[in-house]
Amino acid sequence: MSRVRIDMSSSEGAVAFLKHLLGSGKVSAILTMRKNPGTGAYDIGLIADEAGLDNAAPVAPVMVANTGRVLSSLTPAVKPLAVMLKPCELRAFVERVKRDQGSFENLLIISYTCGGVFPLDEAIGEHFQDSIPDYFRRVASGEIVEGVRETCKACEHFVPTCADVTISIAGDRDSTSGCSIYLNTDRAREMAEGLEGKQSDDEFDPAVTAELAVKRTAEKKKVFDSLAPAGDGLDGLIEIFGKCVGCHGCGHVCPICYCVLCDFESHSFDYNLPYFEKELSEKGSLRLPPDTIFFHLGRMTHMSFSCVGCGLCSDVCPVDIPVANIFKKVGEHTASLFDYVAGRDLEEEIPVMVFKEEEFNELG
Amino acid sequence: MISDPEKQGAAMKAAGGIEDAVRGFLREALKSSAADAVLVPVRTPAEDSYAWILTNDPSVLDNARPAAPTMPVQGAKALKSLTRKGEGKAGIIAVMRPCEIRAAIELYKLNQVHLDNITLISYDCVGAVPLQDYISDPAGSEKRFDSMLKAGKTDDSAVKPVCRICVDFSLVDSDIHIGLIGQSGGSALLVPNSEKGQALLESMGMACGEDISGWTKTVAQMKVEREGARARALAEMGTRLQGFDGLSATFADCIGCHNCQSVCPICYCRQCYFDSDASRQDAASILDTAIERGGVAFPGNRVMFHTGRMAHMSLSCVSCGQCSDACPVSIPVADIFSYMAGLTQPTFEYTAGRNDGEPLPLRHFKEKEVEKVHEIVKGAEEEEVAHE
Repeated sequence: MSRVRIDMSSSEGAVAFLKHLLGSGKVSAILTMRKNPGTGAYDIGLIADEAGLDNAAPVAPVMVANTGRVLSSLTPAVKPLAVMLKPCELRAFVERVKRDQGSFENLLIISYTCGGVFPLDEAIGEHFQDSIPDYFRRVASGEIVEGVRETCKACEHFVPTCADVTISIAGDRDSTSGCSIYLNTDRAREMAEGLEGKQSDDEFDPAVTAELAVKRTAEKKKVFDSLAPAGDGLDGLIEIFGKCVGCHGCGHVCPICYCVLCDFESHSFDYNLPYFEKELSEKGSLRLPPDTIFFHLGRMTHMSFSCVGCGLCSDVCPVDIPVANIFKKVGEHTASLFDYVAGRDLEEEIPVMVFKEEEFNELG
Repeated sequence: MISDPEKQGAAMKAAGGIEDAVRGFLREALKSSAADAVLVPVRTPAEDSYAWILTNDPSVLDNARPAAPTMPVQGAKALKSLTRKGEGKAGIIAVMRPCEIRAAIELYKLNQVHLDNITLISYDCVGAVPLQDYISDPAGSEKRFDSMLKAGKTDDSAVKPVCRICVDFSLVDSDIHIGLIGQSGGSALLVPNSEKGQALLESMGMACGEDISGWTKTVAQMKVEREGARARALAEMGTRLQGFDGLSATFADCIGCHNCQSVCPICYCRQCYFDSDASRQDAASILDTAIERGGVAFPGNRVMFHTGRMAHMSLSCVSCGQCSDACPVSIPVADIFSYMAGLTQPTFEYTAGRNDGEPLPLRHFKEKEVEKVHEIVKGAEEEEVAHE
């Protein structure tokens, strides 16, 4: 058995699977997005009580935090946990595990082919719920849904690569008539035993998503091209980052930025007044607080090749800088120099952590 | 440096608008070496926002907007980045909103800002356009703000909610204040508010013989109106925040990004306790809690973070509204914190940033203080005894 098909919508089917896992005692708790039982707002719940799963929203097109980042705090898990992750959240978790910020031990990873999520400020709106059924219809037909985040529209990594379980949604026309749960590993098959539904030996066929993948690639080119500033070099950077208010919200929500204290918030970026006076006498004018662009370039250097394009940085930016698209564009470029794809494979080593004697010889 | 109602000011011609007059004043200050540099908001090259620029170049001031329509970075934060590590030799003039100056005074008390070589200039503030409004429509925001500034009157629909109920919109603990309210279009008042301010005006040959009582009166009247509006808004907020359920509902959408704290001028901790290892639970105990209670929410400690931050900084909160501007899920953080500040500060007869000589309540031990607490404790004890 490698597939169970449940006669329910994707969302209900996913919840039924989670209930099976928790109800049968195969896992101790489940980490999933849900509607908070007290407030009704979306959050991420670690749910240990089957009734609590009535509020689960495992595949809702919303991201309130990168669950891959949240998952770190729950690992190493002392008891089995099932975890619902969007593909970009899973990739983020893989990158975190490579940095010793988490462990796969005792985890059943469930992911799905993702149609993208809506911007955070829309997802908290009153009428957001009304748009969800239409969203799933469009996603099933392989559309890029109008209104989802630009970063999601341009995401080519919407098929999970390291999941134990894949729920087929995006580009899968059959997902409107039932929920297909693919069991990719022995552990998944073992855990799914006893799950009610039609069992078969079908394996996940990536061809289902091929058409959507082509659309996403075209969209990505469009998004990346639109980022070109009019000016070159520093002028272009000032054009893009000039309105940054220095809140560092982008770094604080980033699943890859795992430093407890960012270097740019540390003492090493404090300057004394004589330093400013010297700068002033040389340049005539200074922007305060300093290092606005330096922060973004520094963060890019530190994490861009591990950027999974989850888009949270753009969601939290108070001045609407397209941070996610910029970092994704730069990140893909740097990663490609090393044939690296962030979060694709746990075995792939982080380029800057690996010493190769023969590398970039053309640099001399 | 508390204001003296008997004092006098200097008249400043402002035929080309108030900001033009201030630019002229600053240029003159640089040229006459009354100041070595000035710190003012300057429009970004892409004309999509403003940035604090420290300059000694009079020509840079052509692009300055001393009263910028919006407040992307709290001025006290700019001042902190400049002076946190101590004094230099340069004399610097900083032109800021009253709430920015008040924050600077609080940071001065917290040893995060040095003011010996800084001359603070404040002005009658008509409020600031919410950052999101400005970013989505810079040209329209400029227009709306300009007409407010010209009329010297706040348009409630154009400014941040906390600006609508701000009672400290005029003279604060600055060195020089620029009076705009109730002035006939062609002029403004320069009011010296400290010896340093007086000396600067004198060194620039500006005579302070102008009667300012008319301006003082108009400001006082406006304050009375604002106090009424403030009381009403705070009462409404008090109802909304009732009990844990009220708090929980208010912060329901919080995603724990801590942007509110990052942009807060008062939150000066390099690392917030709530971002530190000390506030983290280990994996096993989180799971235990989930099993015990049925579930655990992430991001966690929502109410705890906000009430914790409140406990730490509400005595110094200047209600500048930056926290609301930076919140990605539109929680009215500033209104909530301003409400709390309105309760905590009067308890200690303290107003954040009112006077640099007023000690911070929590850093100043008084043997007799907040006697009400003693009464409450005594009452509770007596009740307990009676109960037994």
